[in-house]
Amino acid sequence: MNTDNYRDPATGPAFDALRGAMAGLDAPRGVEKELMAAFAARHPQQRWYHALSPAQWGVAGGVGSTMAVAVLAFVLTVHAPVQDTRVAIPAAADRGDFIALDTLERIEQEPNPRMVETDVPRTALASLGLPVNPENAGDSVRAELLIGSDGAPLALRLISIP
Amino acid sequence: MMTMTDSTTDTELLRQMRCGTAAAFQALYRRHQGPLFRFATLRCGSPDTAADVVQEVFMGLLTDSFKFDPLRGALPNFLFGVARKLILKHEHPRQREESLARYDDEEGEDDAPDSGSDAAEPLRRLLSDELAEQVRRAITLLPPHYRDAVILFEMHELSYLEIAEICQVDIGTVRSRLSRGRAALARRLAAHRPETLGAP
Repeated sequence: MNTDNYRDPATGPAFDALRGAMAGLDAPRGVEKELMAAFAARHPQQRWYHALSPAQWGVAGGVGSTMAVAVLAFVLTVHAPVQDTRVAIPAAADRGDFIALDTLERIEQEPNPRMVETDVPRTALASLGLPVNPENAGDSVRAELLIGSDGAPLALRLISIP
Repeated sequence: MMTMTDSTTDTELLRQMRCGTAAAFQALYRRHQGPLFRFATLRCGSPDTAADVVQEVFMGLLTDSFKFDPLRGALPNFLFGVARKLILKHEHPRQREESLARYDDEEGEDDAPDSGSDAAEPLRRLLSDELAEQVRRAITLLPPHYRDAVILFEMHELSYLEIAEICQVDIGTVRSRLSRGRAALARRLAAHRPETLGAP
């Protein structure tokens, strides 16, 4: 802004007249039109995904991934089968067959056999084909024993194998 | 996105313009085109040339070919400076033709080159006020370097410092050009219509 207040009295009114006459004088509308067309050519309309900066894409990716993981976790939780934690106790009918520990004639001739449920060391059953390894060698196996009147085991049936 | 209001600074509008906001460029144009067009019109005497100059100035702003630095001055002054340089570029071939013609004709005109006389007719029609038209014609007859100082000081109310920045001269030069320009103008106006000036 003009801070020198000196106004020449010889030209002051003349400039006032000229200023007033030119006050509304603007560049032709065509100039603005051409400039805006040049601007549009220089800055073509971008698609929305071009307008995002790499940082914004990073944030969007992070949020999207988190949402996807959350949705997946929710779906799996809702539709996952409920695990039965109860230990199945096999019915008597489902139990395996007796393994003969003596001859069939001896078992048939036994006049007063008894059935006893007991824990048998796994190692003792290795000869019958039960797998034994260092991890389970100390375990016991629940079994039913058919015992003769003299206390000799005649047959064995495994109830549960840990 | 920030809305374009009258209070939005030129620097902010420039920043948005460079980010591709068309509305910011349009706001800048509408804010500054009027004063620039009026300056260019008076300076070169032709509204058509002035329109070309205004368009070139804003094209330069758009392409950043003039390298505006907000730390070195205000945008309006920068735009005036660019417009002035473009006008000088437009005038250069014509001044050369005129000086050659004068040399051939051997005419001893005491007036400075009338760079706008051939294109002044449309402007004359624009200015219906008789006194305004006399001033415009008298300004056209001033030497170009006086014309810059007189128009920027009297019409745009810029300070000596701002005019020095625009014309890239020192303040003393602005002061002397303005003084001589005013004196020449007063003489011409007094010679044409002494009764309209209210001079003693």
